[in-house]
Amino acid sequence: MTEKNKKTKTKDKARVFKRYDDLFNCSRCGTCMSFCPVYKNTNDEGVSPRGKLSLIEAISQDKLDFTDKVSDKIYTCTMCNYCDSECPSGVKVSELFEEMRQDLIDEEKYPQALDFLKRRLDEAYNVTFDTNEGRIDWTKQIPDSQPEDFLKEKAEVIYFVGCVSSFSPRTFKIPRSIVQVFREARVDFGLLGDEEWCCGFPLLSSGMKPEAKKLADHNIAEIMKRGAKTLITSCPSCYHTWKHEYPRISSEKIDFEIMHVSQYMLKLIEDGKINLKKFEKRVAYHDPCDLGRNSEVYDEPRKVIESIPGVEFVELSANKNLANCCGGGGNLESLDSGLSARIAESRAREILDADVDILVSACQQCERTLGAALKKLKKEAKRKIKVYDIAELVLASIKAD
Amino acid sequence: MKTKELNIIKEIVGEENVITSEEERYCYSYDSTRLEYMPDVVVKASTVEEISNIFQFASQEKIPVTPRGAATGLSGGCLAVNGGILLLMVGMDKILDVNPVDLLIDVEAGIITQKVDLEAQKYGLFYPPDPGTVKTSTIGGNIAENAGGLRGLKYGVTKDYVNALEAVLPNGDIVNFGTRTVKGVTGYNMVDLMSGSEGTLAVITKATLSLLPMPPAKASLLALFNTIEDAAKTVRDIVSEGVITSTLELIDQVTINAIEDYLGLGLDRNIGAMLLIEVDGQQGAVDAEAEIVMKVCNLNNAASCKKAASEKERDEIWAARRAALSSLARVEPSTILEDATIPRSRIVDMVQAVNGIAKKFDLKIGTFGHAGDGNLHPTILTDLRDPEEEKKVEGAIEDIFKAAVDMGGTLSGEHGIGISKARYLKMEISHESYEIMKRVKKAFDPDNILNPGKMFTDL
Repeated sequence: MTEKNKKTKTKDKARVFKRYDDLFNCSRCGTCMSFCPVYKNTNDEGVSPRGKLSLIEAISQDKLDFTDKVSDKIYTCTMCNYCDSECPSGVKVSELFEEMRQDLIDEEKYPQALDFLKRRLDEAYNVTFDTNEGRIDWTKQIPDSQPEDFLKEKAEVIYFVGCVSSFSPRTFKIPRSIVQVFREARVDFGLLGDEEWCCGFPLLSSGMKPEAKKLADHNIAEIMKRGAKTLITSCPSCYHTWKHEYPRISSEKIDFEIMHVSQYMLKLIEDGKINLKKFEKRVAYHDPCDLGRNSEVYDEPRKVIESIPGVEFVELSANKNLANCCGGGGNLESLDSGLSARIAESRAREILDADVDILVSACQQCERTLGAALKKLKKEAKRKIKVYDIAELVLASIKAD
Repeated sequence: MKTKELNIIKEIVGEENVITSEEERYCYSYDSTRLEYMPDVVVKASTVEEISNIFQFASQEKIPVTPRGAATGLSGGCLAVNGGILLLMVGMDKILDVNPVDLLIDVEAGIITQKVDLEAQKYGLFYPPDPGTVKTSTIGGNIAENAGGLRGLKYGVTKDYVNALEAVLPNGDIVNFGTRTVKGVTGYNMVDLMSGSEGTLAVITKATLSLLPMPPAKASLLALFNTIEDAAKTVRDIVSEGVITSTLELIDQVTINAIEDYLGLGLDRNIGAMLLIEVDGQQGAVDAEAEIVMKVCNLNNAASCKKAASEKERDEIWAARRAALSSLARVEPSTILEDATIPRSRIVDMVQAVNGIAKKFDLKIGTFGHAGDGNLHPTILTDLRDPEEEKKVEGAIEDIFKAAVDMGGTLSGEHGIGISKARYLKMEISHESYEIMKRVKKAFDPDNILNPGKMFTDL
């Protein structure tokens, strides 16, 4: 055994050592480098999917160790999954990256920020500095209501807000718009209040799967307790986690439908529950990675937008499964905010090319990062594009004169 | 690399542009051949002056320097065989000027090829060379390997579009070759020498590329044939009938079946071969040429020949060709894409030779590619980790080269010699020709510090 091997703590248990065949499928063709947002905005081979796979393969072949530098490269990722979706050789990129992150956790070679995340989720069930008791403070600004009004013992629909929209004031407009639209449509909905725990996505995405189970079990039980038939979420990462991860990680029975708010809004529109008035704007839609590519929800948000009279819908040239990331995902912002902003700027330039009045998306991260980038480019581009969440757009149409 | 040497390099390009960690250098040890050679240091270049200074230092100390673009090459051209400095060019990627009247665009060598075409399109122009890696590879790499693509028959290859370039010689001299004119005979044609020199004579830092007006119309056709011989004859006859198509791609039965396995497009698995044909130009000419193409297909017993009537149908026609390599890549762990090229008149013979070689060595080989210019891609599907397979593959490749050379063809249509084909070069190049090439290399690079280990086995 060489010195190198001795450094690896869990060599016998490390998952990547069993994945050589899958890793070998990467032909190093470099196709992924044409669309990976972190590679395109750094020109750093090590963070491209090809580069990451080469590092993982090297470790699996005892050429390299699990080191801080390797960890750095692996975690520099927005988890947009474009690589997994478009790899010409069909390499199971996302799966290999996930296992590598799990191995890095076991090796204790992961970004410090994740420790903070883990501790907060353990203590306060959310990813911020706040206590979970403040989880529905955002409802205070909603007219004709008290926060307690939304905490029902039984409800047909539960709206799962998600950590970011619950605690980040810049994103409060999203849940507030949703609540107002629901009230217009007379939806029997409730909130979980401080029983809404983080969906667990930040843990799952970092490779900390076991810790996420506790959150999943609790959240599912709380929905079942309230007899809800439908769970709505406005955050695509929560949506993807609920829909595709919870069945994998939780033992609790899921006896309700899980929908993203864009899907539910379309249902309300099609059922004639919402009166949409003329809203004459040129509108483009940015597909959030976790809703679009990773959950394949492309049509409903578009149908919602096109239902609004007066709206001229403009398809961005990079759209649907080929949409480019906003830079807001994968915990990248907490690891390298500069890179995250550069990725947002690249996407913002594509949106400016589309010559629209409004950019609509269905994700608080996308709206925040792209909003900031568009604002920064305002002077250079000599135009201002407003960013709306899909719920805000619907509410604007409801309230239009 | 000694600390003193590293410090000098850091002085030249800035510390932040010098990569020394083992992990990061590992990511710069490979290209699309999956061969691996670790550089001692990776240096990110930003200006031609920096590169000149690096070479002045390297030639003094006899340190090897290997230039690297996006590393999507298929012959090992950017691998640091003797270690030393790996010179990363991807940061030098600006568009410097566009002159639509003179049909010229000036770019830094590290720019991604597709960006050149997208910029040209803003002016109603286009950059014709479209190698498969057009979205990832760099102009510098394309020039160094004289990259081809699907449009070779009508539009030529990369070298046909390089009017002028700036380069750095191994001794650090900054040189400029070529003209901004349509024609010119002043001094030796160094631009053409650079094109395809595989980064062994100089490092290209800037290029003046010529563009063409975008053809206003195009037509796409898909023809199916019961035998690959009929398809190959059709390729010959289309050109004989006076039509130079902008695309003339062939896909064989092995590849069609791989595509069906992967995508289930509804292609007939028993068909011998498919031809994907495109003509472009003025609408009238396009219509006339499409007519001729259809006639030729039918005269050669095409099972079917369909012209796309809409953009959607055009996309459907192209879907199979676009998925060809990716479909083949999914069959086995290793995918070896060869590009031995023959004169168009020998296409039938070449296809039959490849099929014979596949049987002889008991290997799975799918053939697809640019039949119009004789550049097919016999693609060997195997697992190179198996030493038995590796031996068979070596034998098959050698036979493919022999067959191509015997037919008056060449070892490589567009991938280059590099490391991969160096030992076969003398199959095609006579002793005297080979020796003068070596002397040219020595004239540029007396100490053999620039990209050593490529093209020549005995330097």
